[in-house]
Amino acid sequence: MTYFNFPHIEEDDNLKNLRNDVKSFLKTTFNSNNIKPQADAWMYSANPEFSKKLGEKGWLGMSFPKKYGGREKTMLERYVITEELLVAGAPVAAHWIADRQSGSQIIRYGTEKQKKEIIPKISSGECFFAIGMSEPDSGSDLASVKTFAKKTADGWELTGRKIWSTGAHLSHYMIVLARTEKLDEKNRHSGLSQFLVNLKLPGVEINPIEDMTHQKHFNETVFNNVKLNKDALLGEEGMGWQQVVGELALERSGPERFLSHYILLDNFISEFRSKMSEMGITSLGKIISELQTLRMMSFSIAWMIQEKKSPDVQAAFVKEAGNVFEKKLIETIREMSNLIPFEEWSSSLKSLFQDATLRIPANSLRGGTSEIMRGIISKQLGLR
Amino acid sequence: MKDEVKIILDICDKILLKNVDHHLRLNPESNSTQFKTLKDEIISSELTKLLVKEDLGGAGMTLNDIIPIVQLSAQYGTPIPFIETIISNFLLSELNIKPENDFITLTNKTENIIIKSDKISGTFKSIPYLNLAEKILVETEIKNQKYIILFKKGGKLKLQKNFLSEPKFDLDAAELEIISMMEKPEQIDVQNLLINVRSIQSFGAMEKILKLCIEYCSQRKQFGRTLSKFQMIQNHISEIALEVAASGASLSTLKNNNKNFYNLKSTAIPKIRTGIASGKVIALSHQVHGAMGFTKEYELSYFTKALNSWRNEFGNEIYWQNILGKLFLNQNKNLWEFLNH
Repeated sequence: MTYFNFPHIEEDDNLKNLRNDVKSFLKTTFNSNNIKPQADAWMYSANPEFSKKLGEKGWLGMSFPKKYGGREKTMLERYVITEELLVAGAPVAAHWIADRQSGSQIIRYGTEKQKKEIIPKISSGECFFAIGMSEPDSGSDLASVKTFAKKTADGWELTGRKIWSTGAHLSHYMIVLARTEKLDEKNRHSGLSQFLVNLKLPGVEINPIEDMTHQKHFNETVFNNVKLNKDALLGEEGMGWQQVVGELALERSGPERFLSHYILLDNFISEFRSKMSEMGITSLGKIISELQTLRMMSFSIAWMIQEKKSPDVQAAFVKEAGNVFEKKLIETIREMSNLIPFEEWSSSLKSLFQDATLRIPANSLRGGTSEIMRGIISKQLGLR
Repeated sequence: MKDEVKIILDICDKILLKNVDHHLRLNPESNSTQFKTLKDEIISSELTKLLVKEDLGGAGMTLNDIIPIVQLSAQYGTPIPFIETIISNFLLSELNIKPENDFITLTNKTENIIIKSDKISGTFKSIPYLNLAEKILVETEIKNQKYIILFKKGGKLKLQKNFLSEPKFDLDAAELEIISMMEKPEQIDVQNLLINVRSIQSFGAMEKILKLCIEYCSQRKQFGRTLSKFQMIQNHISEIALEVAASGASLSTLKNNNKNFYNLKSTAIPKIRTGIASGKVIALSHQVHGAMGFTKEYELSYFTKALNSWRNEFGNEIYWQNILGKLFLNQNKNLWEFLNH
């Protein structure tokens, strides 16, 4: 009677050495390129030059086959690199989505031509992707998307709008979930397909949206009768829903769901290590236990993905538990500083704290809301 | 999971399924037929010797191997000193002493211990299931040296008044017969071992509670539909599931090496995580069950009381959060180094 298993996976010496290699690389690269660590860097900190350097090191497209320019490494190796990048606050936003999920979708469902054209560029850190799922009228209810791809003699004609697409303004492609058949209310998940859309095509309009932190990282993307070739279809026509569910497991299960603001915690400890109250130390112990547990869950999912299992529900656990954790992190930092007035913090720490405080509300919205995660868990438990 | 563990788990499952029910939990009498049958089957199937070295007649399994067995026993709400005997026999085996073919219970909470001519006197506290065991294993300190001592039950038993599912006793003993006594090996930390057993048991009990919640809500109807169809109820149960999943994952710190059961960091992490989870699971599961969960006859309360007991033993999670926080701060490492070593 075990409902949700997260098998224990041991980090071996190979992975430990890889961690050290990544650490050394980041130290050198940050120094020589004057890169400053940032919180939530996978959303807010894009640096195409840095992405290219990671590609040169062989640390992108890790699990993809060599014949498409990949490295044929394991998902556990990718996991370790990902953690180290997040913990360092490295500027990874440009390539993040391509490396995390779009590349895997193309490997899994793409044609030979799509793989040969795109995967080598993802692996070299020169091809960036945005997610084309949500729409102005389709937030959590993804099956209600209205963007439509009409079949033409030459391929497809795409019309509609996508919204909240992080980094679309910097990206080369978007994987768009579109209807290829009219909505059937009795079978809402049918008639959907995924498309690989080149964002430089005529008719594509990208409009940045300013968020409450005054940053422009997400966008509205409008498709005005965009002409797509036949081979823009990704995977099978009509199987978009099934494909997107697997993609969401990749999107939801990674360590960015609980390490986005790690550098805030780390910097706070560095600055006030010797000034913490007993209450602060007690709060710190709690956060250590919860963080280490989340890492074990996420690492276990990386192994499940590597073993071709379908950890969709486990991914929902990490996403939701990670969101809860990061929200709590802000409160924990406040508890840890109960003897240290905010005015005494260094300006860089204040800035990290303020950024985190402002950005945190997005955590439990992006990649699927908490309510959707709980719905997925309930469904798996047979409650709906 | 190793094949050997699967087989043992299967045997254990059959015995517990056949013999453990809520009637037994509410009537833990040593002279009842139900108890005697269960005890006979457990002892004769050698399940209490799983951790005993092979050359001493045991199965030679590791602490890691028995995690699913401890978990299973807790899922059944097994109201006997089964796990206590497994651990006692393990400690005896580590001292190269042959295991006992009987239930043993154990504690490390002792006061005023005096040893004189193979007899032990003193006060022993919080001994689980002492009513159902004839022998007691204790870890105690005498003149700065820790000992592990096995002795025969006797003296004045005092049942603790508390909210426990499992009965716990204090014992004032005068000159009870010592069966074995050895110096405790340096590498064994009995308290951390016992804490980790509790963390695993807490996980098992929470899995059972999740199952009870799902079953109850899928059957009971209110306002013309089953409770499970209400979003608010789904939200409660998914939160329970989250806590259960996190508790299970936190036990990862114990896997792979017996030493992890004695290590402070790998003990603290699941102790804290299962403690936090227990609090949430207790509150939410009672909310989901309504008044039914508050009755003695319905089995939910047995498991929530057990969780309440275990999360408060050996220092609660807040006490351990402070220990873990200090353990990190005193090591002069950055947090990431601390987490990765």
